[in-house]
Amino acid sequence: MPVSKIPSFSSGSELGSAVVNDLEIAGRCQGSSTNWKRSRSQSALKSSIKSVPSPAKRIALRRCSNAIVDSKGECCDDSNGEPRVVPSSKTLREERSSDPCFQRSTWNPRDPAQIQAVKEALHVASAPDNIVCREDEQKSILDFCKACIEQDKSGSLYVCGCPGTGKSLSVKKVKELLVLWAKEAGFQAPEVLSINCTLLTKASEIFSKVIEKLHPHLKNNSCSPLQDLQKLYSQKRQLSSGKMMMIIVDEMDYLRTRDHQVLHDLFMLSTLPYSQCILIGIANTIDLADRFLPRVESLNCKPNVVTYCAYSKDQILKIIQQRLIVLGYDIFEPIALEFCARKVAAASGDMRKALDVCRSAIEVFEAELRLATNKEELKIVRFDHMDIALSRAFKPLIVDTIQSLPQHQQIILCSVVKFFWQCKKNATTIGELNRSYSEICKGNHIPPVGMLEFTNMCRALSDQGLLNVGQAKEIKQKRVTLKIDGSDVIFALKEIRFFNNCLEFLNK
Amino acid sequence: MAATPSKSRVKPSPPAPQTPASGPRRSLRLSSTPRTPVHCYDPSSPRKSAKKSKRSLLKTPAFCPITPNLPESKRRRRSGPDSNPSKKKIYFKRVVFDGVGFEIGDAVYVKRREDAESDGDEPEVEECRICFEVGNFVMVECDDCLGGFHLGCLKPPLKKVPEGDWICGYCEARKMGKVVELPKPPAWKKIKRTAKEKLLSSDLWAARIESLWKEPDGTYWLRCRWYMIPEETAAGRQPHNLRRELYRTNDTANIEMDSVIRHCFVMNPKDFFEANDEGDDVFYCEYEYDVHWHSFKRISEIDNSEECDEGAGNDDEWKLSKDSDSQTDEDSEKEEDTAQGTSYRKYQTHQLAANSRRGRIFGLQRIGAKRIPEHVRCHKQTELERAKAMLVLAILPKSLPCRTKEMEEITAFVKGAICDDQCLGRCLYIHGVPGTGKTMSVLSVMRNLSSEVEAGTMRPYSFIEINGLKLASPENIYKVVYEALSGHRVGWKKALHHLNERFSEGIKVGRQENQPCVLLLDELDLLLTRNQSVLYNVFDWPTRPHSKLVIIGIANTMNLPEKLLPRISSRMGIQRLCFGPYNYQQLQEIILTRLEGIDAFEEQAIEFASRKVAAMSGDARRALEICRRAADLADYRQKQLSSCTKVTSPDSSAGKCLVGMADVESAIQEVFQAPHIRIMKTSSRLSKILLVSMVHELYKSGLSEITFDKLAATVSSLCSSNREDIPGWDTLLKVGCKLGECRIILCEEGTKHKLQKLQLNFPSDDVAFALKDCPEVPWLSKYL
Repeated sequence: MPVSKIPSFSSGSELGSAVVNDLEIAGRCQGSSTNWKRSRSQSALKSSIKSVPSPAKRIALRRCSNAIVDSKGECCDDSNGEPRVVPSSKTLREERSSDPCFQRSTWNPRDPAQIQAVKEALHVASAPDNIVCREDEQKSILDFCKACIEQDKSGSLYVCGCPGTGKSLSVKKVKELLVLWAKEAGFQAPEVLSINCTLLTKASEIFSKVIEKLHPHLKNNSCSPLQDLQKLYSQKRQLSSGKMMMIIVDEMDYLRTRDHQVLHDLFMLSTLPYSQCILIGIANTIDLADRFLPRVESLNCKPNVVTYCAYSKDQILKIIQQRLIVLGYDIFEPIALEFCARKVAAASGDMRKALDVCRSAIEVFEAELRLATNKEELKIVRFDHMDIALSRAFKPLIVDTIQSLPQHQQIILCSVVKFFWQCKKNATTIGELNRSYSEICKGNHIPPVGMLEFTNMCRALSDQGLLNVGQAKEIKQKRVTLKIDGSDVIFALKEIRFFNNCLEFLNK
Repeated sequence: MAATPSKSRVKPSPPAPQTPASGPRRSLRLSSTPRTPVHCYDPSSPRKSAKKSKRSLLKTPAFCPITPNLPESKRRRRSGPDSNPSKKKIYFKRVVFDGVGFEIGDAVYVKRREDAESDGDEPEVEECRICFEVGNFVMVECDDCLGGFHLGCLKPPLKKVPEGDWICGYCEARKMGKVVELPKPPAWKKIKRTAKEKLLSSDLWAARIESLWKEPDGTYWLRCRWYMIPEETAAGRQPHNLRRELYRTNDTANIEMDSVIRHCFVMNPKDFFEANDEGDDVFYCEYEYDVHWHSFKRISEIDNSEECDEGAGNDDEWKLSKDSDSQTDEDSEKEEDTAQGTSYRKYQTHQLAANSRRGRIFGLQRIGAKRIPEHVRCHKQTELERAKAMLVLAILPKSLPCRTKEMEEITAFVKGAICDDQCLGRCLYIHGVPGTGKTMSVLSVMRNLSSEVEAGTMRPYSFIEINGLKLASPENIYKVVYEALSGHRVGWKKALHHLNERFSEGIKVGRQENQPCVLLLDELDLLLTRNQSVLYNVFDWPTRPHSKLVIIGIANTMNLPEKLLPRISSRMGIQRLCFGPYNYQQLQEIILTRLEGIDAFEEQAIEFASRKVAAMSGDARRALEICRRAADLADYRQKQLSSCTKVTSPDSSAGKCLVGMADVESAIQEVFQAPHIRIMKTSSRLSKILLVSMVHELYKSGLSEITFDKLAATVSSLCSSNREDIPGWDTLLKVGCKLGECRIILCEEGTKHKLQKLQLNFPSDDVAFALKDCPEVPWLSKYL
């Protein structure tokens, strides 16, 4: 594919379209069953392929494709599939006003079935049929597996990346594709064993699971499952067991033991002379293999590594749109979606979070819908709904929290800020803090509470994430630090009349 | 049974005399004709001795003079005088006692009380309910009332015993609702109840022999496991109970052999239904009853699970114990021959007692709830007492104010997850400081929803509530969840496997279709393990397509999800709900709703308490506790007052007593002040001076320790400068020792009192706080 070999991806959308091509062509090569969704996006693809040969900027691409569509008159097709691929806040708004093709079937949010369909489409569990934005990674995993099966050799692969970047999902997809491919290409389909390591009661249990899958009736208690496996893979194989074995190990870092023996043995399995297993490990840490497997490395059997980066803003946007495209109507304001994608991408790039935020925005919208009696202008989830949802997810409401605290706890916070301000320090102990607190209390003619109660209040504050109380043998020696910005505290307390004079001499 | 005689026969020692004799007799008994089992004594004997005293009749037949059909040698294994005065207990596998062989595993009747009101002896043979004769005719038993009827006495007479269930005409008529008059016995005849009837009317006990031994003093004892009749269980007799059903309990007792009456036969269901003519003493036992937990368990399941659940390791253990058992049996049997001699006389000395150690056993009387004394029930509650009762934390108030918004949100969350056809898994994390009604709100929401389910407006779901504090280890959560879903109790590893199948692959658990499941995890932070795998698994399930799992997690810390591994917090979703601390209006409202209709508190008192609590923690529990304690104090005050004034004017006590500010104030003092401060405040004058001088000296020196010598010098200098009496050395020592005992100060171990080092156990601030404005010794505050 010429398109996929574009060396530098100047923008996310180009990556997206390129990858779509790639996948589609792969799909065509395989001749896999074409459902209506795929056929539709294929037709959308045609237009984009036509537009691609000039590797232009995103906006150019967009206009180009529109022009083609207009000229060809594939209007409905386009409006269903294409235009959501590459929106941008700037272009979209002008296009919304200008482009008549954007008139879609309207969404009726008062219909519970439709709301339900939207929620379902946005749920984490409902995985889409084809995975967008991860085509490269998926392809490299698939190629690796194919190569292993073609050459009938073993291999190991390590997939790493942040949570919520689609690792398990795409490996699962690869598994399905591989079995399909093997059937078509005339190879014996590999046995597939996927294990989530959190479900193992102890790390070495993984070998017994493998051997159980490989030889379900093997009853040999003389040696351990690991020894069985090693024996099996180091002897010349019998004809009966000619199948490849694909082992998918999810959350691989749970196999870590003190001496890393299990991890090491597992990777060593694929290096044995007659080994037939394809090992795919999935975990969050990037350097698991480097850190814990020096011996494997020295044998020059270091596993290939595929890294899943956190999703970028455009990718998140694209994935959400791909999920919603099935429904065929506008649910979110484009700018709202973009806002969500930007926020999530900036925070973590976690797709789960983005989906959760969208869902929560729909709930905000629903709540408003319930309150609104007159049926005006509540047809779409707007920017402000998304804003509420995002602020719920990302911005802890420190000011509100502080203002709703009990008074003595507010005094403690005030005394912490004051103490740090005066002493130019950023840590203190409970004993010192108590003294500073008593001072403020006395200054305002409030009886201070006892030491025990004071400690309890400090714990409550640390539970709410405002203070950090360390560990110490003696209560008085416990280290206290402020977890939030001091100016936040001052800002929050300023609005309470009681603290006016406490904070006054702070500002001198 | 068969093994024992053969074993003893192989032995070189003189063969046990009981074996040849007991074998045939027992077998004879088992194969005896229906309704006329041949027993160790003549059936006619009870009737002859009917006039004898109750006690002696209750005694085992050995004491009856009429045992002509038993050869003397068989009656008791006595080979001679006690030749082996062993100090140890000797255990037996089989004991022949009064001519009857008792073996481990046998079921026996046991006398219930020493002074049991028994109507004479228990005849072995039941009389016909119609003609009240025994006769040698075939009898048929009614399956309902268990009465026996001669086939010939029935109307119409039966030719042979009918197949299947048979109910007598009287019971049938009674079931139809008629008043039935049973045939009255002839006036001269005394109705005797059989042992079976006594057992079923709980005048006797049945027990299973677990072990048999001889005490050093020569008496035979046995350890027995009780059987219970259904009436004695907590559940009472259920409609499905058979008349002859017993429950095996897990309660055992050691009893003396003398209390044993004779054999009965407790059978498992299979044997019971096959046994048609085993006699009257046949019982059915399918379940074991736990007397402490009032739970039932199928015996066959207990035995099976013990074998298959724990795997090979346990099996070995079991075998091992069996082996050791048999070993001891062999040992004991060897000894048996030499140590047989229990003197016949000895038993006769205890002739009148069912048990020679009176009042030592009879464990079943301990079971069961105590009677509530009548005067407690009919005591009329005063307003204050009602108020106190309403303020107890355990009471569930009718309405839950101040959390309506949060409860609506929870309701919307659960409904949104469940209502639709395809339940999508979700998580909600609820956080807030203690005592802000987190758990209570969720539970009340779930109650409302379950009433909606009953009304049919909502899909049924299963609700599982788990408190992290109640789990022995975090892994046990799998066990609890699985048990709640399927009713089976398995180990956590197995449960994890099943749950994973259920949630991630959608395989059915149990017979029903998988319902949506709401899982409430209280004290979520306690489920943290070192690698957090438990939380990972739990929060991973809702992200699976077929899980139908909704999780509500509750914890105190706001930032728990951020403290977890990122992969877990990613799965946990973003839905959070914060329960802020209550402010004083809310607390006031909570207390007032609880006290609705009870006029016991002054308005201001409640406001004072709620303001005080709201200023510190906003913990509703604490506010309620303070109010309750204040009510306690007021109640106490009132009672004292009324006891004083009762003499003069009894009417004045009827005047209402409201809980006032003073009561609340003193309750707050109790709750908010640590005990050591109260001790310091109430300690003697001299100890206050000592404490203050200690604080003073420590402050001056900057050290953390002080010798007693120096302390004494400081005390005397303080006293002299403030015109106090200078205390003597040993008075001071005594005061110091007392404070040391209270652990207000820490004394160094040692004998040299003069140089003993002293240390304050509490921060000097607390001492200062406690003694700052002490009215007794006002000059103390200048040294603090």
